[in-house]
Amino acid sequence: MIETQAKPGRGESGSVPTVSYHEIRKRFGTFEALAGVSMEIYHGEVVCLIGPSGSGKSTLLRCTNGLETMDSGDIKLDGKSMPKDWNGMRGVRQRMGMVFQNFELFPHKTALGNVMAGPIGVLGKPRKEAEQRAMDLLRKVGLVDKAYSYPAQLSGGQQQRVAIARALAMDPEIMLFDEPTSALDPETIGEVLNVMKQLALEGMTMVVVTHEMAFARRVGNWIVVMDRGAIVEQGRPEQIFDAPAKDRTRDFFSHLGWSG
Amino acid sequence: MSLDFTPLFDSWRFLLGGLGLTLGLSALTIVFSIVLGGALGLARCYGPAWLRWPLVFYIDSMRSIPVLVVLIWTYFALPVVTGVTLPPFWAATLALTAHISAYVAEIIRAGINSVRAGQERAAFALGMSRYRAIRDIILPQALVRMLPALGSILSITIKDTAIAAVIAVPEYMNRSQTVAGQSFHPIEVFIVAMIVYFAILFPVTRAVDMIYARYAYLGRS
Amino acid sequence: MSYDWSVVWRHADLLWEGTKVTIFLAVTTMIIAVPGGIVLALMRLSGIRILAAASATFVEFFRNLPLILVIYTAYYILPVATGLRFSPIATAIVALSLNVSAYNGETFRAGIASIRKGQSEAGYALGMSRTRVMFEIVLPQAVRRVLPVLASTWVSLFKDTSLVSVISVGDLAFESMRVRSQTFRVLEMLTAMAVIYWLLGYPQAKLVDWINKRYRVNE
Repeated sequence: MIETQAKPGRGESGSVPTVSYHEIRKRFGTFEALAGVSMEIYHGEVVCLIGPSGSGKSTLLRCTNGLETMDSGDIKLDGKSMPKDWNGMRGVRQRMGMVFQNFELFPHKTALGNVMAGPIGVLGKPRKEAEQRAMDLLRKVGLVDKAYSYPAQLSGGQQQRVAIARALAMDPEIMLFDEPTSALDPETIGEVLNVMKQLALEGMTMVVVTHEMAFARRVGNWIVVMDRGAIVEQGRPEQIFDAPAKDRTRDFFSHLGWSG
Repeated sequence: MSLDFTPLFDSWRFLLGGLGLTLGLSALTIVFSIVLGGALGLARCYGPAWLRWPLVFYIDSMRSIPVLVVLIWTYFALPVVTGVTLPPFWAATLALTAHISAYVAEIIRAGINSVRAGQERAAFALGMSRYRAIRDIILPQALVRMLPALGSILSITIKDTAIAAVIAVPEYMNRSQTVAGQSFHPIEVFIVAMIVYFAILFPVTRAVDMIYARYAYLGRS
Repeated sequence: MSYDWSVVWRHADLLWEGTKVTIFLAVTTMIIAVPGGIVLALMRLSGIRILAAASATFVEFFRNLPLILVIYTAYYILPVATGLRFSPIATAIVALSLNVSAYNGETFRAGIASIRKGQSEAGYALGMSRTRVMFEIVLPQAVRRVLPVLASTWVSLFKDTSLVSVISVGDLAFESMRVRSQTFRVLEMLTAMAVIYWLLGYPQAKLVDWINKRYRVNE
């Protein structure tokens, strides 16, 4: 396991978790997506949410930045409860970055335009400053030569890297990844995971919903296994992957054909 | 502004007759347009190459000329050329059919083309003849996809019959104008006309939406 | 029966005046009806019940009425309802604009709704407000997407302007028919009218076909 900057003992030094979830519940009609989920995420951690489809991983992620509203429960950011209204959440969203499964780049803007969209539109930064920063970020994800290309001209992996740069441009405290590689061709998955690994090494707090078990094992500090809207078990990668405590975790791995 | 609807009470039978003609003209036009437009559309898709250009020319021309112009030409100018004077109702039927069948042909063509390639290959791979492939595989799917567009044609036809008022077809619009002129209460007459047309057209568009929603899954790829 | 086609050339200036009016009506109406359609669509999608209902009612109302009826009704109602004097051409523009705005309202509503939810979410995730997301992310894409439909609407509008001739607006149809009444050259003038509309309309229809091919949505 690579050395990220997460502290070995979670919350031992009394530090406030960056994000804490308390009894989150969410229903879609009659379907219970989240059945009372509670957990903590600490600064600098890479938390990977894994589990079968429909287990609530994405829903939980989307509740974190308010794209879904929870029916009941509380989410705290740096110890303060998050606002429940849409406009109040805008401030929170500016402090979080999200990367979507379908990239969701704005097709009518160039790669550079996409990365600048947040700083210029939301933070009101002057154009020159935003452009300089955007170029730096594109360089960081290895796509500075594609700055003036449109999303339609980029491969899936390239688009996703631009999407990561776009989220980073807002200087977020925490990055949320919703199955970032699920829509990618196998050849391009690696380039995206590498960027994410780099981010982890730099100490970014990350929550990643993923099916990439190898990534979770190598880069993750804390694994959360979910099924049917509840947390089955959570723990360090070595424990979860090598010695899962719960049957359901074992079932999940066997269905994936995962043998460690 | 005070409204006086009494002239309408006196003329309601007169207006009702006009309404009957509106519906009759619409129904005839739709039937003829679907037959003619269907033939034109199929000929466009599956007909011999030499037929393509005249068909395209006809269809595109009808899409370029206003309905009013076609109606007026058919009623006033056609007799001069052919020596045959059609009564207003039949002139309107002819003109509207000529115009609307062009749109139907285009819808048929678009519908068939949206299904064609892969489905045709699959059908032929199963050993189907061209005729059967078209009849059993292509057309049913194409028909479902064409439903919303065909539905809007129905709506357009009913609206276009109102233009036939200009060539003295005594349908509802024309009769409303008569009553308006005689009663000196045009506003009331036309308000009722709007209600009447809305009462006919709104259910039509709703029904088409509902039918499409019900059967759309049959046409989805 | 002898035909005198020179009657067309002799009155070419009147026909040209009529053509100019036709074009003026179409252009003016579109200038009003495109923003009008966007406003109606935004009202419908606003989430504010009254605005949404008003917009939906307006759109359904004008989409389910024959344009010729709207023109006649406008002709009689506008002066009485507003107390102002309306020239025939002003009446025509009002009627046409109301009608086409309603169609555009539906066009833009469908166009906006067709933009993937993920696009708005990506904007929200960056901390954008609903307004910014609509005007910077969704509307630009929606407008591009509905361009082919707007082009078709334009072609229909161009043809529909002929209906204003019934309230004596001096468009191409009106002028053609006036010359016909004055000269009794029925076939020549009516055919000329059809041909001129054809000359104007055919290239437009072809252009719309080309636009449809080029801007086909690949989602």
